[in-house]
Amino acid sequence: MSLNKSILAIAGILLATTVLGTGAAFAQSKVAIVTPYMAQPGTQFYVEAFQAVADENDWEVNVIDTAGDVAAVISRMEDLVVQNVDAIVINVDPTQVTAGLQAAKDAGIPVFGMDAGADPLLVTNVTSNGYAMAAETSTYVADRIKGEGNVVMFVFEAFPPVQVRGVVADAVFGNYPDIKVLDRVTPDVADGGIADSRAKMEAILAANPEPGSIKAVWAAWDQPALGALQAIEDAGRSGEGIVITGIDANPQAREAIAAGGNFEASVAQDFSGIGAATADAVARVLAGEEILQSVTYVPTKLITKANATE
Amino acid sequence: MVFIRRYGTLIGFVAILVFFSVMLPGTFPTARNWLNITQQTSMLMVVAAGMTIVMVMGDFDLSVGSAASLAGIVAALMMAAGQPIWAAVAVALVVGLLGGAFNGAMVSLVGILPFIATLATMTMFSGIAFVVSGGKTISGRAIPEDFGNFARAGIPLGEWGGVAINLPNLSIIAIVVILAVWILLEQTTFGRRLYAIGGNMEAAHLSGIAVKRLRLIAFSLTGLAAAAGGLMYASRVASANPVQGSGLMLNAIAAVFLGTTMSRHGEPRILATVVGVIVLGVLDNGLTQMSVDSYIRQVLVGALILVAVGAGSIGQKRR
Repeated sequence: MSLNKSILAIAGILLATTVLGTGAAFAQSKVAIVTPYMAQPGTQFYVEAFQAVADENDWEVNVIDTAGDVAAVISRMEDLVVQNVDAIVINVDPTQVTAGLQAAKDAGIPVFGMDAGADPLLVTNVTSNGYAMAAETSTYVADRIKGEGNVVMFVFEAFPPVQVRGVVADAVFGNYPDIKVLDRVTPDVADGGIADSRAKMEAILAANPEPGSIKAVWAAWDQPALGALQAIEDAGRSGEGIVITGIDANPQAREAIAAGGNFEASVAQDFSGIGAATADAVARVLAGEEILQSVTYVPTKLITKANATE
Repeated sequence: MVFIRRYGTLIGFVAILVFFSVMLPGTFPTARNWLNITQQTSMLMVVAAGMTIVMVMGDFDLSVGSAASLAGIVAALMMAAGQPIWAAVAVALVVGLLGGAFNGAMVSLVGILPFIATLATMTMFSGIAFVVSGGKTISGRAIPEDFGNFARAGIPLGEWGGVAINLPNLSIIAIVVILAVWILLEQTTFGRRLYAIGGNMEAAHLSGIAVKRLRLIAFSLTGLAAAAGGLMYASRVASANPVQGSGLMLNAIAAVFLGTTMSRHGEPRILATVVGVIVLGVLDNGLTQMSVDSYIRQVLVGALILVAVGAGSIGQKRR
């Protein structure tokens, strides 16, 4: 290859970038989304919904996927600060990218969290309300068992987003004089949570052999609910009408709910709603408004047999 | 023709710099942006410098990314357990050194091909990182603030357009490591012997060079550098998870390869590796500023490596 050809090749690559890079150069506001987690299904829903709102506002949106590399999130945020974009949206634990947040703050560029976690350096973090999700399922349980009977709870205190769910369920069950919390179990989650929850539930079933002695299982997330379901089915006690609920509505949970067994309800986060609400927050700040809430909550949806396959 | 083969990449590098400077006149060729780039590439710089040491002998180390992750996890776990930062860092570096020595032993004493030996240890180190961390990300209050602050601090250089400019600590570490590897490879008998092994291992052995011992040492140093890179990464993100260094391995090899297109006989040279790392860093930095889609960016980076290395090898065949 001659010198001319290799320079030509490089020039070609660079020319291609010019065309690609200046496509939206005349839009008004430059907004960037930086995430290491683009490959996760939820993230794609956030981003699509965000872009729909961005298109309405005629923003130039730059979506940057660092493919799992958190340090690269900081690097790209620094680049965006140098480029002087109008707003940055992150979808990563803010405590891991403090360096990038600080660079943006020093330059006066607002940073928004899209289900990222609360942080003083964020304008606001848009996410689902863990308290509200737990209220949905715990009231579902209380209503289904008509306010009386023994309930088994699966909780996890060590992880703050899950811990708050347990607090609300405690309050709801505590408000019914005839509901008794039989056991408050923290499963070992090293293997994902299903297997150990199942083992714990088998022990509880063995200790309470009378039909009707357990009316419901309330789980702070779906895995323990799935483990409890397996234990109840294997013990041959699925006919007792034990009500199980989870939270998150993951695909496995939806399948179990749709099948119409003991697993009756879970709560789904509205990923698209989070993306759209984040874009709304950006629009408000770009319009000069000040956002006071450090966390912006997006409503969630109770999933039952009626809508599990939607 | 030799001129083209040797300087084609350098000309391409300058072309990229000129291109971004023209496209982004207000932001790309600024002191602040270049200090950002030195900081952004510092971790890769250190790992690639270590990779250069074994590649000089014609060997490879595929385990550097896993070793970097493992070092970060070890340090984070020790800090979370209340150990002082210096002790955590020291133990993590020793872990990297021992991991590298293990690679060296497999390659030189047992005689397994480096590609296979380090592919195996890559999986092992990664598995160990998962085992000791339980697969979790160690972050938040478990990491002392001083550890995370280190990567955000630097030596003040004055002001630029009203913003304080620092020479980042991470960049300083990278410069020190490059200097150390440059002295080791270019100024010592040890370095010349590594190049002799790379030229012809059998001849080096026959001329009395302790090939086995040198390979063992070289792999140990690569492991040490990988651990240092992993610690820098952990400090930058103030956290550690068992996979965070994995992206460093391929980029380090790519940087060394880009560098080899600049040397006389296609052998790795540390200063050429530095240029290779900067090319990768500048592309990320400049293309982000031009709002080029991040997936297109990956395609372009790959294409550039092919163009540079391809131009070099075609030039070599014609010769």
